[in-house]
Amino acid sequence: MRLILFSAFLSGSLLLSAGPLPAQEAVYQAPTGEAPPVAPPLKKGSPLDHLVNDPKLAEPAIGYKEGRTEGDAPWIAHRLIDEAGGQGWGWVKKSDAGWGSAKWIALQETPGLAVAPHRKLLKADADENWEFKFWGKFASYKAYDPRLDEQLPVFILQGYEVIGPQPALDIKVGPPDRIEHRPSGASSRDNRPILSDPGVD
Amino acid sequence: MRLLHALLSLALLGALHASAQSREDIVLTGGPALRFMEHGKGDVSHDVYWFNFVDASVIRLKELKDQAKPEELVTWLIYRPAYAARSQEMGMDLLAQLRDKAKNLGVRLVWFNSKEELVAYFNKGLDRDKIKIGDFDYFGHSNKACFLFDYSNTIDTMSIAWLHVKDLRLIDRDIFARDATCKSWGCHSAEMYSQWWKDHFGVPLTGAIGKTDFAHGGLPQLSNSDGKWAQ
Repeated sequence: MRLILFSAFLSGSLLLSAGPLPAQEAVYQAPTGEAPPVAPPLKKGSPLDHLVNDPKLAEPAIGYKEGRTEGDAPWIAHRLIDEAGGQGWGWVKKSDAGWGSAKWIALQETPGLAVAPHRKLLKADADENWEFKFWGKFASYKAYDPRLDEQLPVFILQGYEVIGPQPALDIKVGPPDRIEHRPSGASSRDNRPILSDPGVD
Repeated sequence: MRLLHALLSLALLGALHASAQSREDIVLTGGPALRFMEHGKGDVSHDVYWFNFVDASVIRLKELKDQAKPEELVTWLIYRPAYAARSQEMGMDLLAQLRDKAKNLGVRLVWFNSKEELVAYFNKGLDRDKIKIGDFDYFGHSNKACFLFDYSNTIDTMSIAWLHVKDLRLIDRDIFARDATCKSWGCHSAEMYSQWWKDHFGVPLTGAIGKTDFAHGGLPQLSNSDGKWAQ
């Protein structure tokens, strides 16, 4: 009986102390020293296909609409390039409000429905100081801009209409933390801006 | 006497079970950009290859599996939304491919969808009083202040899922074994992240000064001749 008990104990302990089962299939061999695979062919009609193959314009076409643009536009947007190197898109305000209430935003595009107006242009900054009617909403989350170590409110774009070029706005550029000189979480160890490209590949 | 033997055996079995898994090795993998976001950026266009972080992770996971003692768990944490979005863009089921890779390696695959889920796994995913993290590797986008699990996947050139140095305080200080080995294979981590990591967890994090390059296949290399690995 002692032998039976000991055998049961030994079997049980081996069972319980064993790690995950070993792989049952051939182990994946990652490429070494060779160029990785290239992207598969573009899917015809996909947002990326349109981006790559559609003709580009020198500037936005006034009155052009894209995406869901039913009803009165709830938002007005003013495109601006951030000279500090940030990736914010520009300003967005409610249609019936003044620019003093505008927010400096990260623009979340909705590929297949509505993408940033500059995607149709020869140069990405060719819509600077142009204004647009925007349809969409603010997201519940924020975006992190790794170049400047900043967080921005996110506007999810669902549709837009081109208004046209407008005079530059006299508003300080950037999210509130930059304008109010609030330090980022990392600034006790280093000065902002971070300006380190997260680039890998 | 028989009863005594049985009780002793059960007690021993319980003790063995508690110590059966005393360490966990973790590989944390961030997601790729969408080609839509990175199109037209030339030499700085990120993640032309969708599994650049995955291939490197697989190599490291295999090393960990080969070195692991029976009582060590090997866990692969992957930021799921980025691979779901890239799958949709490419018309390929990358999530299924990731599941197959984990299965072939014999490692535990744990998806996470947000920083909050990741922090919850670190703190409560396993009983951290008993199972400490013995090895940690991060593969993904980063700057010196941040691990970026999402980068240029939801918003062009930005992130909606990250772990900033100031977020480290959300993670319990004692989740790592005292002799834990930690490494970030992303860019710039040793320029800031490593210091904050050591201050918070008490274990070093090896990282890069300068950029790292995943494009050669294999584990990432330092991009520049003046770069180096540091803690």
